[in-house]
Amino acid sequence: MKPAPFEYVRPSSVAEAVATLEAHGGMARVLAGGQSLVPMLGMRLMRPSAVVDINGLDAELGQIEARGAETTIGALVRYSEAEASPVIAERLPLLRTAIRYIGDRQVRNRGTLCGAVAQSDPTGEVALVALTLGATVVAQGPGGVRELAADGFFVGSYANALAPEEMITGLRFGVVPARGAFFERGRKHNDFALLSLAVAATPEPDGSWRDVRVGMGGINDTPVLARAAAARLEGQRWDEAALAEAAQLALEDADPPEDVRASAEYRAHLLPIHLRRLLLSLVEEPRHG
Amino acid sequence: MDELATEELVEITVTVNGTVHRERVSPRMHAADFLRQRLGLTGTHIGCEQGVCGMCTVLLDGEAVKGCLLLAPQLDGRELRTVESLAQGGELAPLQQAFKDCGGLQCGFCTPGFLMTATALRESGRRLDREQIREELSGVLCRCTGYDGILTAVDRVLNGEQR
Repeated sequence: MKPAPFEYVRPSSVAEAVATLEAHGGMARVLAGGQSLVPMLGMRLMRPSAVVDINGLDAELGQIEARGAETTIGALVRYSEAEASPVIAERLPLLRTAIRYIGDRQVRNRGTLCGAVAQSDPTGEVALVALTLGATVVAQGPGGVRELAADGFFVGSYANALAPEEMITGLRFGVVPARGAFFERGRKHNDFALLSLAVAATPEPDGSWRDVRVGMGGINDTPVLARAAAARLEGQRWDEAALAEAAQLALEDADPPEDVRASAEYRAHLLPIHLRRLLLSLVEEPRHG
Repeated sequence: MDELATEELVEITVTVNGTVHRERVSPRMHAADFLRQRLGLTGTHIGCEQGVCGMCTVLLDGEAVKGCLLLAPQLDGRELRTVESLAQGGELAPLQQAFKDCGGLQCGFCTPGFLMTATALRESGRRLDREQIREELSGVLCRCTGYDGILTAVDRVLNGEQR
């Protein structure tokens, strides 16, 4: 057994889970899918005083809810469930596409989308899509429910705006642009991304595009929006020159890390090439996700 | 080891390969260690213990999961199946026979992981082509076979001989 000792707590409600997090003064961690937390316990990168296993709270946290224009994914929804969900396929095809790049079948059978948001891995696919599509993180803490925009939620590598005694209860999406596409390049299949990109936009009858979103992962210490690139494309027809310029502008919002997987230079090299191609794919075929 | 003296054990009831077990476990113990060390079911192998290699893949309520990423207390009230459940009365299961026939194993260390991942795939009833099977099996690593025999074996059992 490799983890440091911890108290194992199985709450019977979200309120009880939050009370436990509060009682441990921020030293407890929530266990949902455990696909990131359990390895980190084993490596002793985390030594929580308690592990709060929320897997029994399926009635409160296990649903994908479509209400009006909004789609809310509960904290216990596994990747495999979202992957197979007709609601996700219809409303959030970009998210569905991105999920296929996450882990492998076994990991997707256990891992949760909200867990990925809480983990705030700079290369995380769910975090990138949530940011790109302007999702809202719903959290509960001792003070009640808080809603946090994904834009601003990710504050650093594996760091986010949650308070230590808060837990995520859901991830909510509103209306999303009509078209979206996702790209990821890693050293090998299922590895952390060197670069991941999510783009979304709605074509107008006159050939221009509105509501343009460009998100980038693996290129900063958090997923980031390529705001300059999106602004260049908003309301415009996407001709070759516009796409090429937008692809270069994306570098303004990138500060690529240098690590064992790739040099900063290589990441910066990949970014405009693949962003241009991905944007072009939105123009060329009406693909969804 | 003093820190462990005060460790609170968790009582669990888990069904493994059809047998109900009631055990007191450390919350720090993962499911693969539980199977091997507490139940003596050493068919589930342990490789990386960080969710990468897939050796410890078992079926949790019918779904393929990595045993090293599941804490033993999480098994309470659940049903596990391991590679020991496949052969019946000394007769190999169709997947096991196909692995044997197609050169789907050499050293055999990864074989339980592949067999359990493929068992879940087979029971899902999904129709998959060879590339989709490759994707579904990508969470188990093999360092001997080059995967081709494994794919052929699983393809044969999922889709029949004629493909």
